[in-house]
Amino acid sequence: MDTIGDILRDFLKDCIQNESGFVELRYHKKEARSISAERGRIENTQLKFRTGVAIRVLVNGTWGFSYTGEINKKSVQAAIVSAKKSAQLSSVLRKEKIPNLPPANFAVGSFIGEGITEVTEKTLEEKIALVMSMAGDGSFPSSRIQSIACGYSEIYEEKAIVTTDGADVFFSLIRPEFRINAVASQNGVMQVGSESIGVTGGWTCLFKDFQPAELREKACKTATDLLDSKLPLGGTQTVILAPSIVGLLVHEAIGHTVEADFVLSGSAAAGKLGQQVASHLVTLCDSGISEFYTGAGGSIPVDDEGVLTEKTTIIEKGVLKSYLHNRETAEKFGVKSTGSARAWEFSDVPLIRMRNTYIEPGNSSLQEMIDATKSGYLLEGPKNGQADSNGEFMFAVQKAHRIENGKIVGLVKGVSSSGMAFDVMKEVDMVSKEFKWDLGSGYCGKGQPAKVDAGGPYIRTKLKLGGTNE
Amino acid sequence: MITYQQISSKLEETKTYVDGVISKAKKDGISQVEIYSAYSVDTELSIEKNDISTSTHSEDTNFGVRVIENHCQGFVTTNSRDTLYQSIEGARSIARSQNMPDDCVELPEPRSIHPVDGLYLTDLDTFGFEDILNSIRKIFSVRESQFPKVNIDTGSASVSKGFKFIASSTGVMCSEIRGDISASFFGMAVDGNDIGSFDYDSATGRNMAMFQKNLDHALVSFGEKCMGSLNARSIQGFRGSIILTPDTVFNFLGDLLSSMTGTMIRKKRSKFGDKLGQQVTSPLLSIFEDPLIPCFTGSTSFDREGMPTEAKEIITKGVIHQFFYNHFEAKKAGLQQSSGNASGGSSSTPGCGPKQLQILPGKSHLQDILKPTDKTILVNRFSGTSDAVSGDFSGSVKGSFLLEGGEKIPVKEVIISGNMYEVLNRITDVSRERKLLGSSSHVPWIKFADVDITGTDENC
Repeated sequence: MDTIGDILRDFLKDCIQNESGFVELRYHKKEARSISAERGRIENTQLKFRTGVAIRVLVNGTWGFSYTGEINKKSVQAAIVSAKKSAQLSSVLRKEKIPNLPPANFAVGSFIGEGITEVTEKTLEEKIALVMSMAGDGSFPSSRIQSIACGYSEIYEEKAIVTTDGADVFFSLIRPEFRINAVASQNGVMQVGSESIGVTGGWTCLFKDFQPAELREKACKTATDLLDSKLPLGGTQTVILAPSIVGLLVHEAIGHTVEADFVLSGSAAAGKLGQQVASHLVTLCDSGISEFYTGAGGSIPVDDEGVLTEKTTIIEKGVLKSYLHNRETAEKFGVKSTGSARAWEFSDVPLIRMRNTYIEPGNSSLQEMIDATKSGYLLEGPKNGQADSNGEFMFAVQKAHRIENGKIVGLVKGVSSSGMAFDVMKEVDMVSKEFKWDLGSGYCGKGQPAKVDAGGPYIRTKLKLGGTNE
Repeated sequence: MITYQQISSKLEETKTYVDGVISKAKKDGISQVEIYSAYSVDTELSIEKNDISTSTHSEDTNFGVRVIENHCQGFVTTNSRDTLYQSIEGARSIARSQNMPDDCVELPEPRSIHPVDGLYLTDLDTFGFEDILNSIRKIFSVRESQFPKVNIDTGSASVSKGFKFIASSTGVMCSEIRGDISASFFGMAVDGNDIGSFDYDSATGRNMAMFQKNLDHALVSFGEKCMGSLNARSIQGFRGSIILTPDTVFNFLGDLLSSMTGTMIRKKRSKFGDKLGQQVTSPLLSIFEDPLIPCFTGSTSFDREGMPTEAKEIITKGVIHQFFYNHFEAKKAGLQQSSGNASGGSSSTPGCGPKQLQILPGKSHLQDILKPTDKTILVNRFSGTSDAVSGDFSGSVKGSFLLEGGEKIPVKEVIISGNMYEVLNRITDVSRERKLLGSSSHVPWIKFADVDITGTDENC
């Protein structure tokens, strides 16, 4: 009996059977559920359905794109005609024509994600009950806690990708996420503590490290601890970064600069292949697979060009080895696609994006790193981050623990950190054995969102912290 | 290209269909249902690395379905009209899954709406693909002739036409047909090994004439901003003044305004809950909203719940005049009706927020503000984090300058940190001149005193 994957692949293949040029069809069904509660009431419960077929063609060396929300042969073929017409018309302005794309490591068959049944068989009532129990009934664990918000969301996706040059694949996956956000208040000062987790996988995988109540307790503690905190001293400091912050660092500082489309625009990584760009302690990778253990939030078996994803070693022992590619940039650089083309919905064009980005673990322990630090900060609790074309990056953290003479002596307010990507990587002098995926609830924005994860060991380096001048 | 008449026909057809679906729902005992529909036809030509990338033609419809039963709410969105009734049943099922009725959860009764002029100018009917190609030609031409060192990493020119429409079982029924032309560009200057910061700009207009005028300004502004970040150098940190450009002011005030929403106040996440009528910022700051300005891109006659919008004072000389309420938050606050500030679209339940903000000009001339006697950072872009609850902000400044002794020095690796609520009481200048952002909001330049500015440890 045919599965839904077989049926969809056959339908798409039927739509392009008479096509002679390059045509790529991507069926994408997305169901997003979310529940949020705060101060004893359900704030929001919603369900979003988006289903359609994306069409991409290559005509006269120029891309044409269209899509339809109507899943039938007539609509898909009409959208193919529309995409071809658009490409034809715009090709008059295209200076550098895209040649025929060489074959890639195409996926063929069906890939069914782990944990789908485990998440979908939980009823809405069970999920609401969990969120309500964490958001509380309006009474809080401390008189200084003023509000607790809790959110649960999940994205279930099915994709089928068929191209005229060989991709023929169906895959499905589910990504649940859980968030807690607490507000503490005292003498007119308000502070926030947040905890969030997210995985590609099931319910058990989501709560494998922390139970919901533990996350709630951590968020409340952060919010109350920060009430008395002050800004750190601004300037360049020795810092130990927790795995979540390492994740932010490698995503923002290195990951974006090695996306081949940014490289072609002149990013800081352009022309540096083969060069020593980081400490020899640093081996940095981006993978569609969840390395070390399952559940990394940015995992995908196949990218949105139908190419099998792989582990891409970007920096090996400090030497820049590879950029991240789609089929077009792979052809331009004379390499194979790294399976990094991703689209958020059927209405989005695939772009080069990261998946799960990390530094490989080293030989030190966290305690050894703290012991060896005379003056510095341990940074943890990721907030947001951004990268710049010149290699300067910025990311923000919730908490900075002051380290003096090998001991943690206090907490200061989390602030933003910045530096030049490769300079900071060259300063890495200690890398821990511990490894953790810790940005599973993160999204990357590049015109359209993408679900990514990042992490690594603890690392020690030097960064500039925003703060006071005296 | 689709015409006004064709969009109008599509709207009437959608209204009839949605009306039928709501009637069926009422017959089936679903007494409170609201459907928000957004329809758009877009043609876009994107740019990547100074060349044409992808040409896209698309037509999209999305429905947001809200059902309230026993004072509990369920919400479903779908892009398939065929599943609209199924979505109503799904939303009812979600509402039923909750067992916490709240009397304030209900759909609002209809109120009269006064249309805004100029949301679709009929000469847009003749705007074709060749016009988009010409806009791209102009972008390439200005870059090559005036800013050859600037790389456009990504960009686009597009025309978007469509409608938004809301109908509910309480009798709300309103719609707007809209259309605009827009372009955007994102990139940086590269001069040998010197790579500048990313910057961006955009232009929009209701017809070709408005768009072309705005495009001319935006291209020069983009090129100058990108070039301005070349030759940047590190500086030593200090505590001093910053001047925010209009784009940065607009972003900076986002957290202040989110603290003035009914939602943040009810959840006790705002410092302003008991501050209505009180001074919360420097008296130099005055903000109002006006969603009824003809032809502006943020103009609209009704909000996410189909309630009328209106011009109103938000902060006058530092004193809070008005919070932002949707129907639910207004009821929770003990008010009779919303302030017409339900925010969002077909993909979300109604939130609360401002509509087309305008910031009043000050008394200082911009040229005087830009020649400070004290050491000052001119912040062109802020790349950082801010928190509406605490007011804490911290982040890198981009494409920015140190103004000192009559010199304007491009800087890099500079972080500014502080607390927004404190800094807003340290405004020293607001410019007379204002910039129109996105054909929607007039915003001046604003100078703040006593901000922590972190540089490098030594001059480089």
